[in-house]
Amino acid sequence: MMSTAALTRRAAPVLACLGLLAAWQVASLALKNDSFPTAIEAIRAIPDILGDKESLINILASLRRMALGFGAAVLISIPLGLLMGRSRSVAAFFNPLLMVIYPVPKAALMPIIMLWLGVGDITKTLVIFLGVSLPVIYHSFEGAKAVEEKMLWSGAAMGLSPAQRLVRIVLPAALPEILTGCRTGLVLALITMITSEMIARQSGAGNILFNALDMGQYDTVFAMIIIVGAMGICFDTIFEKVRARLVRWSEPQFDLPLSFS
Amino acid sequence: MTAVPARSSERVRPVTSREPASAIIEIDRVSQVFQTSARKDHIALSDISLTIEEGAFVSILGPSGCGKSTLLYIVGGFVSPTSGAARMKGQAITGPGPDRGPVFQEFALFPWKTVLGNVMYGPRQQGVRSTEAEAQSRALIEMVGLKGYENFYPKELSGGMKQRVALARTLAYHPEVLLMDEPFGALDAHTRTRLQNDLLNIWERDRKTVLFVTHSVDEAVFLSDKVVMMSKSPGRIREVIDIDLPRPRRRSELLLDPRYQKYVVDIERMFDESDEAGFAL
Repeated sequence: MMSTAALTRRAAPVLACLGLLAAWQVASLALKNDSFPTAIEAIRAIPDILGDKESLINILASLRRMALGFGAAVLISIPLGLLMGRSRSVAAFFNPLLMVIYPVPKAALMPIIMLWLGVGDITKTLVIFLGVSLPVIYHSFEGAKAVEEKMLWSGAAMGLSPAQRLVRIVLPAALPEILTGCRTGLVLALITMITSEMIARQSGAGNILFNALDMGQYDTVFAMIIIVGAMGICFDTIFEKVRARLVRWSEPQFDLPLSFS
Repeated sequence: MTAVPARSSERVRPVTSREPASAIIEIDRVSQVFQTSARKDHIALSDISLTIEEGAFVSILGPSGCGKSTLLYIVGGFVSPTSGAARMKGQAITGPGPDRGPVFQEFALFPWKTVLGNVMYGPRQQGVRSTEAEAQSRALIEMVGLKGYENFYPKELSGGMKQRVALARTLAYHPEVLLMDEPFGALDAHTRTRLQNDLLNIWERDRKTVLFVTHSVDEAVFLSDKVVMMSKSPGRIREVIDIDLPRPRRRSELLLDPRYQKYVVDIERMFDESDEAGFAL
C-alpha cells in the first residue's frame, strides 16, 4: 500500500503538467491570438503528426543524428576528459582550446561547417557532437582530477599499470561525475538537434516545426513543441534510471554508516 | 631489565627473538626536498638511514610535518627521494609493488566495489582464480571481524570498519611488508584501541614486517619492537628505541607494566626536551 506522501510524490509531476496545460488553455482563450492556439488544439494535432509517415521519417532521422552525435561525443570525450584530469601536460594542451570553444554557441559554427561539409547529416551530427562533447569532457576532467591519490597508490601496489589504473580506477571512481556530464550532454543533444535543423532545413523534427511556422500552422508548431518536450522527458527519465543503477554505490541512501567499530 | 633506550640510529636491533633477523628494508641516506615556492625549498627528510629487519614491527614516531609519512611513501615507491635510496631485500625500490602493501589513514577503498570486491581486487589482479580469491577473501573478512558485511559498500560502513576492510584488502595479496600510514589516525579513541588490539592479534599469526607511522607515543610503544623517533624541520631520525616488552602483548597487562610506562614517559620527555630546545632557539 502506498503512503499518502508517496502518492502525492507520484501525482505531483502529473498535476504540474495538467496545471501548465490548463494555464495555457486559459491564456490562449483570453488572448484570442491566431498564432497562439489553445492547448487542446495543439494536443489534437499530435496524432496527425505521429500518424503521418513523412513526419515519422523526419523525426526518426533527427533521432538517428542525435544518437550518433551523442554516442560519438561520449566515446571520445570521456577518455579525453579522464586523460586531462590525470595528466597535467594533456590538460595544459587541451584546456585553452576547450575554453575558447566552450562559450561559442555551437549553432553559430554551423554556417561555416555547412560551407565545408554541406547541409546534410554530417554537418548536423557534427554540431550535436560538439554540443555534447564539452560538458562531458568538462565533467570527466573534474571527476578524474578529484580521484584520491591514495586510491591510485593502492591500485599501483596491487600491480596495476598506469593504463589499467585509468580504466579500472579513475573511470569507475569518476563515473558519477561523468554521468552528470552525460545527462547535461543529452539535453544539449536535443537542443542542438533542433537548432541544427532550424539552420539547415532539409529534414528532421526541427524542419517540421519551422515549416509549419512558415505556413502559419500554429497548432502543428505547438504540437511539435510538445513532442520534442516529451522526448526530452523520456530520454532524461531513461538516462536517470540507467545512471542510478550504474552508480548505486554513491547514492545518498548509502550515507548511513553502521554503528560498529 | 632496563628501559634505557638504545641510542643509535644505525645499529641493528639486538636479536632477542627466535630467529636471526635479516634486513628486509634498507633506507640509505635518503633526503627529500620539496620546492614550496620558486625560491624556497622545504627539507622534508634529511639524510635518513635506517634498517628494518624481517618480521619486525617498527613504528616511525614524530610530530606532524616531520616527514614520517613521506619516508613511508618512499619505501612504498609512491614517491622518489631527492637523494639516497631505499632497498627492499637488496633491490633498489623504483616503484610500488605487491611486496609492499600500504594501508592509509584515508582508507582509500574502491567505493564502487563491495567489501568482498575490495578484498578480492588484489588477488584477482595477481591472477588468482575467482573462486579461490573469493574463498580467501571471505576468510580474511572474517578474520578482521566483518563477517556478514561482505556485500556492503564502503559508504555504508563506519571509519573503523572501513579500515578493517582496507587491512584485509592489503593482506589479501600477501605483501611481505605492511606499510601503515597513521592507519588509526582518523578514528575515535575507542575504535582506535579496538583496532590496535585486533591488529596485534592478526600480526601475531604470521609476524609480517610492519612499518607503522604514527604520532601517538602509546600506540607506538604498545605495538612495536622498535620505535624510530623523528624530529622536524628538517626531518631527521632522533633516536631509535628498542621496545623490549614480552609478546603476545595484552593491553590490560601492558598498561600496568612499569616498563611500558617508562618507555612512554621517556619518549614523551624526549619530545618535550626537543620542543623546548626548539623554542629556545
